[in-house]
Amino acid sequence: MAEHAANGWIGARLLRKEDARHLIGSGTFVADIRMSGLQDVAFVRSQMAHAKLRGVTKPERYAKRVFTHADLDAPQIVQAGPELSNFRQSPYPALASDKVRYVGQTIAACVAPTRAQAEDIAEAVTVELDELPAVVDVVAAARPDSPRLFESWPDNLYIKSTVTEGDVASLASAPVQVKRQFKMNRQATVHLEGRGVLAYWDARLNELVIYLSTQGAHVMRHGLAMALGLPENQVRVIAPDVGGGFGGKNRLMPEEIAVAALAMKLGHPVRWIEDRREHLLASVHARDHYYDLTIWADREGHLLGLAGDVYIDSGAYSLWPTGSFMEASMAARNLPGPYQMKHLKVNTFTVATNKAPMGPYRGVARPGACFAIERAVDEVAREIGREPVDVRRLNLVASHQLPYRTAGGLLLDTGDYHASLETVVGMVDLPALRKRQAAGEPDGRAIGVGFAFYTEQSGHGAAEWTKRKSRVVPGYESANARMLPDGSVLMHVGIQNHGQGLETTLSQIAAHELTLDPAAISVRYGDTAAGPFGFGTFASRSIVFAGGAVAKASRELLEKACRIGAHLLQTDVANVRAEHGAVHGPNGKVTLAEIARAANIRQELLPMGEQPLLEVTATYEPGDSGGVFSYGTHAAVVAVDPDTGKVEILDYAVAEDCGTIINPMIVDGQIQGGIAQGIGTALYEEVPYDDQGQPLATTFGDYMVPCAPEVPTVRIAHSVTPALCTEYGVKGVGEGGAIAPPAAIANALCDAFRAIGAKFNETPLTPRRVSDAVDRARNGGTAS
Amino acid sequence: MLTVTLTINDDEQTHTVEPRTLLADLLRDRCGLTGTHLGCEHGACGACTLEVDGKATRSCVVLAAMCEGRSVRTIEGLRDDKIMEVLRRHFHQLHGVQCGFCTPGMLVMARDILRRHRKPTEKIIRHELSGQVCRCTGYANIVAAIGAAGAELDQGASS
Amino acid sequence: MKPAPFDYIRPQGVAEAIAALRQDDKTVSLLAGGQSLLVLLSLRMAPVDLLVDIGRIEELKTVSESATHVFLGAATTHAMIEDGAVPDPSRGLMPRVASAIAYRAIRNHGTIGGSVALADPAADWPACLMALDATVLVRGPAGDRREAVTGFVQGMYTTSLQQGEIILGFDIPRLPAGARWGAAKVTRKSGAFASAMAYVVEGCDGTPARVILGATASRAQPMPATAAYLSQHTAIDETELRAAIGADLDAVDPEADAYQRRNHTATVLRAIREVRA
Repeated sequence: MAEHAANGWIGARLLRKEDARHLIGSGTFVADIRMSGLQDVAFVRSQMAHAKLRGVTKPERYAKRVFTHADLDAPQIVQAGPELSNFRQSPYPALASDKVRYVGQTIAACVAPTRAQAEDIAEAVTVELDELPAVVDVVAAARPDSPRLFESWPDNLYIKSTVTEGDVASLASAPVQVKRQFKMNRQATVHLEGRGVLAYWDARLNELVIYLSTQGAHVMRHGLAMALGLPENQVRVIAPDVGGGFGGKNRLMPEEIAVAALAMKLGHPVRWIEDRREHLLASVHARDHYYDLTIWADREGHLLGLAGDVYIDSGAYSLWPTGSFMEASMAARNLPGPYQMKHLKVNTFTVATNKAPMGPYRGVARPGACFAIERAVDEVAREIGREPVDVRRLNLVASHQLPYRTAGGLLLDTGDYHASLETVVGMVDLPALRKRQAAGEPDGRAIGVGFAFYTEQSGHGAAEWTKRKSRVVPGYESANARMLPDGSVLMHVGIQNHGQGLETTLSQIAAHELTLDPAAISVRYGDTAAGPFGFGTFASRSIVFAGGAVAKASRELLEKACRIGAHLLQTDVANVRAEHGAVHGPNGKVTLAEIARAANIRQELLPMGEQPLLEVTATYEPGDSGGVFSYGTHAAVVAVDPDTGKVEILDYAVAEDCGTIINPMIVDGQIQGGIAQGIGTALYEEVPYDDQGQPLATTFGDYMVPCAPEVPTVRIAHSVTPALCTEYGVKGVGEGGAIAPPAAIANALCDAFRAIGAKFNETPLTPRRVSDAVDRARNGGTAS
Repeated sequence: MLTVTLTINDDEQTHTVEPRTLLADLLRDRCGLTGTHLGCEHGACGACTLEVDGKATRSCVVLAAMCEGRSVRTIEGLRDDKIMEVLRRHFHQLHGVQCGFCTPGMLVMARDILRRHRKPTEKIIRHELSGQVCRCTGYANIVAAIGAAGAELDQGASS
Repeated sequence: MKPAPFDYIRPQGVAEAIAALRQDDKTVSLLAGGQSLLVLLSLRMAPVDLLVDIGRIEELKTVSESATHVFLGAATTHAMIEDGAVPDPSRGLMPRVASAIAYRAIRNHGTIGGSVALADPAADWPACLMALDATVLVRGPAGDRREAVTGFVQGMYTTSLQQGEIILGFDIPRLPAGARWGAAKVTRKSGAFASAMAYVVEGCDGTPARVILGATASRAQPMPATAAYLSQHTAIDETELRAAIGADLDAVDPEADAYQRRNHTATVLRAIREVRA
């Protein structure tokens, strides 16, 4: 079935191993697990944004089925966020104790044989709340006179920081100065499978077993064990099939701690399956960036520097482990983008508000930063009357300058940024589009084309995460390779495949190294009792880290197999080579299966002193742990109805470079899927809050997720510049697709209305926002 | 409680349920048919799509009680279906699956499209899929797979 | 997200259903296709003690036609209209409207009667049926009554339906040969509820034009000034037409803000362009 690439399995379009079970409905997600005695949990949640919790009254009939903070043997509060003394802690209880700080916060857990019955009980619980003023607007919340979420804090800032490079004050007399505000509103992560947890106490093993829909079982075990006060060897976390995550399943969440604590208390299995309303209300929220920036340039369009403020509305609590600072620090450091500006001064404010806590979401911080810088570049181009593409040509870091340290301190490694831009400009045929624009559309819509360049840091390890003062430093990944007596291979890894096709790509790598067919390799993950410790799948890291670990473990295993093989062939190890699943010597060959048989069950055949078993556990980190950078240029062509504000994407093209590609089919799938989510950010998805802190989109009736008619088939061009410090030269590709679409689409809208100067600086660009922006421009309004 | 007799994947069954029991919950909790997924529970994501009396149906907005005497077919009951076999093959070959959570509902809907539209165009496929949320793939490969399956079935029908 | 408990009955006929509705001490709700109601129940936004499932009552599936009218029973599904499984009095308008309601799996169960009875301001059928000058046939404890859909739908989620009454169906006049229609709606994404909606029907024999605006803050309503302008002008002056639309909007959707007025206006104009194309 698979096309076998000339150089082995690296680069082969191998069809996915994961598909078979899903195509017949036999995937096993947490909610699919049945267990005798299993009961469901429903949560009583705060209906107020900010209030003192006076009391919880349990319905008499169900008193034994309702659990509050006091009933749960008080799980430990886990310290979250960067290990910085000036980062303020926001203790986040599994169930609220004295205060509630956002609508949806968990107050009590109700247990019943069915979810419907658990909800009946939850409905009958009375909660007494004394309302406090809701803190909703991020800029107002950062002011000293704002009501505070945490009494012990002097204000509502988790942390503020400044990223500085060069001297922006020297730019005061620069010929071009553009000041703009950009806003990327709050959204949810919307993995189609909600979060889910099922827990029970295993009396035989004397351990707590937790089935969890998570992106990282091992790290979650560490967090859950801390929260529950259990030794880690008494906690087993199993992540079965996980129906998407995108960052939303990579934080320690209150419901999960509560359910685990209930399982310890109750003696029967309990589960909580997040419903969609809970997801939109109280799961990980994301983005919510506000930028107030000034960018300086010369008359030709050379970017000189950038300064301003970045506000991140981080919601009511910091989520373990990373907390709420990563968003601001990454946004600030990514603001200079791939451009050669010398001066930077960005103040960041990470602000607590009465909204659901913020966490990571595909692209983390960069969609906002990319939106701000790429919009700003277009604004500079308009200011000096040049094509935005020309201004990019002028400022992109040239390939001979790489590696290049940006003003934000990121060390861009390899690639050809100009080539990417030129490729995509050719793909959309810019001159033809300009002609079409000049002719006008018969239906009265306006046509626009927008470009946005992005970089995607991946493979960053110890150096980067210690710089971020992370509590958990995902500096490596691990793989345990085991060749069984028949020569088949079990490859346990510490990452968590949840849609990325890693069962397939990692087996390609192992097959390449072991000279086997990928069918002989079974990639396993997601059970802390079975595999080695690992950090999970996030930050576009799995192919670099787990791919590297699999390669290394496979090589070490093969080395041993060659020693044994040489012995079996009665020759020196220097005389043998591995090929097509066998070790070949000068006078014959012995298959890996024969070697595995010897290593596992026929010890007498082994060379003197050789240990039995063919089993290797390897860890891997890239040669340079500062990270490698995938990159690309997106181009969006849109048609816009100025009155209704409806936007149609006519064409979407990408020219990208993610280094060496293991499986081109999967890479294209990640790009297309990422862009669909980026289109959601750009045009559709938003969790707005009213002045009282009430969320206004708690169903898919109000929260718009793009579907097949809204997402075009993206045209993708690849170039390959291998990374210098990773196995095979791979770079990550999971997030890049989601980073640039808001910028490219907003730039396309600005382009469509450039004659009247309409500005599109806030996402999502809903029909209302689009039409209002056109109207403001038509009626002489100034740029926002 | 009330008693419902219905046919599930060609097997007539009688269940005692609460009136409020949704068809999806009956299938998942009582019949072990967990291939029908719940993604929103308010009729908006399509993950729970199955067939009732041959019609595409969202099992989160239908009561089990409403299915008295009806015939329900889930993804598990379509394993030997000819159209589904072709669809599965193209979904696999064109990478129409990522996390797999939307897949069963997507396939049931795809089969419904191919039964109503001979060789549907991309535009028709996209319109007909407009209520099926997939959060991973960006739809392109799903649309292509349905188109390819439609073309293959059309060729099979006319040859 | 599961419904609170309720009782459920499935009466055999309309009379039995009407009898079941007569329960003063309970909140009783009719269940047709359930595609909107079950969402509200699962969200626990509509407390109900008893659901009366009328989805299988044959009388509500009655379809009949005469030279001048088509009668569609209340339980006619959107999909039946979309597929042409029932006669079409509207020269293609109703199938097109049906095909753009939510999603196919919803259309397989959702009914025209349920849509009108719920009277969601953004729903398609109330506005469409008004444009077609349809009449609703209602049966209650006191017998049958008929009312123009225009008057029947009174506001957001409000109709003239009294306790114990059931919609039997809709009598829809056939559009004469040569009559033209235009339909336009704006949704934030495919299949979502409309933010703007307009239907325009013009005869060819001097009958006045009908223009209906949907997706207002309260209910779909006729736009008399716009209709009069169309009836009086074969050639359109867009400024004059916009003035007529503006006058209608003042009356029909007085709370509409500037965006909503632009959205309404563009949508009405699009429907009119289709009629006059």
